[in-house]
Amino acid sequence: MAKIDLDKMLEKIKSSQWSLSDVDWDAPGAELITAEQWPKLKAFMADLMWIEHVGARAFAAMAKKAPDDTLREIYTYFHAEEQRHANAEMALMKRWGMLEENELPEPNNNLRLVIEWLDRFADDQPVYVLGTVVPMLEIALDGALCKFLLETVDDPVCHQAFELINNDESRHLGVGFTVMEMQGHGKTYRELARMVAQLMDPRLILGIASYFPLLNKMRDNIIEMGLPEEKLYAAMQKFEKIGGRSEDGRRNPWFQIIKYHGRFVVDRGNRFYHKPIDALVKVTDAIPRRAFPAVPSWVREITYQTTA
Amino acid sequence: MTDVQTTPVVTTLIIGAGFAGLGSAIRLQQEGIDDMVILERDKQVGGTWRDNQYPGAACDIPSNLYSYSFAPNPDWSRSFSGAREILGYIHHLVNQFDLARYIRFGTNVTGLNWDQDRGVWEATTEGGETYYAKTVVMAQGPLSNPGFPNIAGIEDFQGKKIHSAQWDHNYNLEGKRVGVIGTGASAIQIVPSIVGKVDKLTVFQRTPPWVMPRPDFETPDWQKLAFRKLPLSQNALRKALYLAHESMALGVIWNSPLTRLAERLGKWHLRNQVKDRWLRRQLTPNYRLGCKRVLVSSDYYPALQQPNCKLITWPIARIDENGVRTVEGIEHQFDCLIFATGFNVSNAGTPFPITGVDGRQLNDEWKRGASAYKSINVAGYPNLFLTFGPNSGPGHNSALVYMESQINYIVKAVRTITSLDLKGLDVRQSAQESHNRAIQKRLSRTNWNTGCKSWYLTEDGFNATMYPGFATQYALQMKEVVLKDYRLLPHS
Repeated sequence: MAKIDLDKMLEKIKSSQWSLSDVDWDAPGAELITAEQWPKLKAFMADLMWIEHVGARAFAAMAKKAPDDTLREIYTYFHAEEQRHANAEMALMKRWGMLEENELPEPNNNLRLVIEWLDRFADDQPVYVLGTVVPMLEIALDGALCKFLLETVDDPVCHQAFELINNDESRHLGVGFTVMEMQGHGKTYRELARMVAQLMDPRLILGIASYFPLLNKMRDNIIEMGLPEEKLYAAMQKFEKIGGRSEDGRRNPWFQIIKYHGRFVVDRGNRFYHKPIDALVKVTDAIPRRAFPAVPSWVREITYQTTA
Repeated sequence: MTDVQTTPVVTTLIIGAGFAGLGSAIRLQQEGIDDMVILERDKQVGGTWRDNQYPGAACDIPSNLYSYSFAPNPDWSRSFSGAREILGYIHHLVNQFDLARYIRFGTNVTGLNWDQDRGVWEATTEGGETYYAKTVVMAQGPLSNPGFPNIAGIEDFQGKKIHSAQWDHNYNLEGKRVGVIGTGASAIQIVPSIVGKVDKLTVFQRTPPWVMPRPDFETPDWQKLAFRKLPLSQNALRKALYLAHESMALGVIWNSPLTRLAERLGKWHLRNQVKDRWLRRQLTPNYRLGCKRVLVSSDYYPALQQPNCKLITWPIARIDENGVRTVEGIEHQFDCLIFATGFNVSNAGTPFPITGVDGRQLNDEWKRGASAYKSINVAGYPNLFLTFGPNSGPGHNSALVYMESQINYIVKAVRTITSLDLKGLDVRQSAQESHNRAIQKRLSRTNWNTGCKSWYLTEDGFNATMYPGFATQYALQMKEVVLKDYRLLPHS
């Protein structure tokens, strides 16, 4: 993946738009979902949809902090595109009879924490913190979750929708890694000092406390579906490979942190990491619903309707 | 065919019968010059205020300041009057000063040509008539040509399309699904006016404006009476409003502690009227106050929160036959699309070809951004006067205050030409250049040039629109016609 020209990328993004109505959600093929698959797929899709939706919110925060107009516009598009992915995934759930009329699936507790954190603190974070975390989540999604889904599900409409989604995601990753390299370009020490200061920011610590269990939760969901977790790890290792392909990329201190964290996640033998984080997943699962504040209104923007 | 030798040459030809054109005519007449013709492309006077009669159209400058000091109106019904009332004021000017006799309606100018030998401007028109004049006042208005946005598929939409400056009053919005594209000065007036009528209203926003509270109230009868009996009291109010607006320049034009204060007021207004955090975030500007026009409204935010209204901030992917497709993948379907997208601002061109000395074309010279001497003259185009020319726009005060300065300058210059019996008064290139160097240097320190995209700037970011200073500074600049800055061309 070579470094990209962001101006050309913006043009490419603008000329590659698609709408939910470009897909025939009533076409035959929904019956190919087996009875055994159905309940697991329902839980998986709900999580996937929510991950896309919170990813969208992260891009909104990045658009606010983007260092130039081009990147701001790109992130504004990515915000909307992630929302489109969430909408398309919700449309698939509707197609498969997993949603009642106007039903919005409940996000799991880890996602609720991430939603809460994004809503309160994301806009205050430096663009490069989210700019490194988001590619990691995306690569995990793009390379793992969606791939698993396509290997498991035979419905041609699902394949059609994910082809469109994956085309978008490849652009998101291209920009993501380019921005990570821009960040690493020649300012290691200054950035390192700034990063240490940022790491002490309690808002960021809260973010980390929501992000770490989220990855473990995703892993659990994958296992739940009967899929090999190694595929998720292989995808996460791609982050290390692509992000560290250049000197600039490696010099980005945030890349180094997320990379090492990725290594912890992949290494199931690392009890020092997994025991507490798995415990955190259990704790968050146990938080009663009513303990959460009302969901922010952007959460309800998601829809399976192709028209409004 | 017109006989060049016998067709009369008037002293002044005015192009456009809006505020600027009519104001020029009044002041010329007051100075004893009534040998003039006003060419108007429409069938009515009024310019901007004739065209912008959309629901809720009103001025965002108080009426007592948005009117001519030489023609005060004691009867303004509100502090911020509506478009209809302002248009009424313009009609009143025509009657009061008997201007109708000068106006040729339905006459659209297609070109201006300087006849060097005779020292006469020749104006060709769409109807084939030609007019000749010693001096010309360009008063066609900077905001006179409605601009549609450059969105793919705009032609495909099968529903009703309305531009805010070409409102179709015969179209009934009652019960319709309506989309408004744009959130600028027109949109924030249209949205509150129609939200109660339509079935569903969707507002598409690209950049949120800074919106300040609008202290709009009905004028009490005692005030109208006082203004009528004691014109000095109205004059005093006008002066107070003028000074209040002048002080706003400190926050709007330059980045100062007052800018922060104004931003706080804007954010307070938003927080006060919008309780939802996400909607507030969507409506919070991401650029310094003053970089784009600051708007005033106390009913825009409440209108957006009506149950049948929705603000969309997703980028628009395209327009199709049913409505607007946004990037989040949804097709928003409408019966009617309202384009509140402003105007094609003529900051990089002229409305029609203008040919000056030795065949030079003003359009060519302005290709990379317009520039003029004191906004009013261009070297090589003798006796041609611009109203709202390059770098004459106010960001903080009444446009009519600036216009009066321009008009008075024009009157003085025309009098100079006639009294000295000049063939031409042509500004020196060197004077024009030195004026613009100073203007651009000053502009670089203003909020307008801090990186946001606005209609003040050309595509290349050149600011040919705004005047970087107080209205008082502008008035001082326009106070005298400095003859040493001009070449005085005698009749040979």
